[in-house]
Amino acid sequence: MNKKLIYALVAIAFVFFVTSLFIFLKSKNPVRYSEKKSTEAEISTEPEEPRLLKVKAFFFTENSSQMIPVVFEMERPDIQSELYRRFVDLIIQGKENFIVPAPPGLQIRALYYMEKQKMLVLDFNENLVSRFPSGSQSELEFIYFMVDNICFNFEEIKMVKFLVSGNEYSTISGHIDIEHPFYPDYSFLRLN
Amino acid sequence: MKNKIWPLFFFLSLCFQLPALDINIRCFDHQDFTRLVFEGSRSFQFRISRSGTSLKLEMDGKARTENDVSVMQDSVLLDKVVHVREKNRSVFVVFSHSEFEIRRDFILERPFRVVFDLARSEKPVMTDKPVISRNSTPPANDSEPLESHEPEGDFGPARNQKKTAIETICIDPGHGGSDFGAVGRSDLKEKDITLKVSKRLRSLIESRLGLRVITTREIDAEVSLNSRVSIANNQKADMFISIHVNSSFRKGARGPETFFVSLKATDQAASELAKQENKSFDEIDKTAETEDLKMILWDMAQSEYIRESSKLAEFIQNELNVILNTVNRGVKQAPFRVLMRAAMPAVLVEIAFISNPAEEQKLRDEQFLQQVAQSIYDGLSKFIHYHNTMNR
Repeated sequence: MNKKLIYALVAIAFVFFVTSLFIFLKSKNPVRYSEKKSTEAEISTEPEEPRLLKVKAFFFTENSSQMIPVVFEMERPDIQSELYRRFVDLIIQGKENFIVPAPPGLQIRALYYMEKQKMLVLDFNENLVSRFPSGSQSELEFIYFMVDNICFNFEEIKMVKFLVSGNEYSTISGHIDIEHPFYPDYSFLRLN
Repeated sequence: MKNKIWPLFFFLSLCFQLPALDINIRCFDHQDFTRLVFEGSRSFQFRISRSGTSLKLEMDGKARTENDVSVMQDSVLLDKVVHVREKNRSVFVVFSHSEFEIRRDFILERPFRVVFDLARSEKPVMTDKPVISRNSTPPANDSEPLESHEPEGDFGPARNQKKTAIETICIDPGHGGSDFGAVGRSDLKEKDITLKVSKRLRSLIESRLGLRVITTREIDAEVSLNSRVSIANNQKADMFISIHVNSSFRKGARGPETFFVSLKATDQAASELAKQENKSFDEIDKTAETEDLKMILWDMAQSEYIRESSKLAEFIQNELNVILNTVNRGVKQAPFRVLMRAAMPAVLVEIAFISNPAEEQKLRDEQFLQQVAQSIYDGLSKFIHYHNTMNR
């Protein structure tokens, strides 16, 4: 009888422990959209939406301090975060005769959409800091290349935050503070 | 049976423990007050009391800190903060070098922070500091309740006791040591140019204006961004000028640029703040967004000096445009890390683009560097004249 009571108490304690651990972790961590488990809610519920999506990507040219628009067609994936990722890949890849203000070997590791803050968190690989050419103008060009392109094409995103290898960095190469998220600055874009 | 039940209780108590509370303590000196911040990994309940030259912050539950004694090396007012752990609470005792008053205390969220602005009071220095050891209980009888810890309406730093005359100028040659900064095609390094211009500028200021000049580095050495601004704050500099060389992904980018700080992310809030510099913060529109942005701006020591920094940037940029006969790229705002914590008018000057082959060539010319130093000097001289006229 005593043994049964102990087993029951242990079982209750274990359930409590697992439940509280689950609640604690869920409240601490943002949803990682690049993981498949958490993406079910992101599946589009509007089957009528066209599969092909037109996006306007902005790039620098040698003669213009403002970015110039180029229209691309992208296939719309079922998962919204996958769309963001493909768009970021697309702009990093760039287009012939246009300048992509990003260091060589730059890749996105993961991205997170924080719905409450309407903020997209971009987590880049180490090349963002290790292979960046320095200069405050270069930093501003990279930051607003990312932020303006993303916010212009996805109106649900109001601000963008940068991480490097999963960590917050104070600057990319010693100038602009990237601990805070960035709102778009469309003065970098040539809209007409 | 008893032996089997105890581990179970232990296990259950582990399940229901709150996450640990980590406290990070920091302080930095402004021109006429010292800000002390207790940042928690989560929110916490606390009580404030004070005795003599110490201030006590008691919190329920046990907190964790990196060190039991945090020495405030960079502060002229504060000496140390001692963490005393008691049975079910943690007590932080703040010791100062002299009598002080609490100008304001308030709470900031995300992350949770308890903030005190402390200023030296006119009373004589107290010599009988209470001695606190790790195991002792802080004296309870002599502690009296202090100001409410509710956030006050005035979120703005004190503006009524500014020094009127500019006496000390801090020059910050960008990069250094293993941090080359931008590098040109001919292997010309930003760190070398910034040091040369800074030395020339220093010489001009000392010889012509007779002001005290401090520099964040004299040699080719690496200095962190935080240390650079700490030097300026601790030396009570009245002006901070950071010298840099620009670089762009576009080879055609050219011309000098002068920046003052803003969170470009909060561009609108920054300009709003600049407009309302002379008004109290109470008058600023209190929409939810503005409140959030204001909190970020408030965190910057520089927020108090945005208007003056803008003026300084304007004077310097005008001189650079005239002497160098370059396209006016205008005064710009950006959230420069090195400027954010400067408690004085602060600007960052990008003298030319090393990524532009023609400008890189110019940057090799000693005469050009002298012209750059001269134009920065002319700009800051005009600012000093403007500043002194306004404060007369």
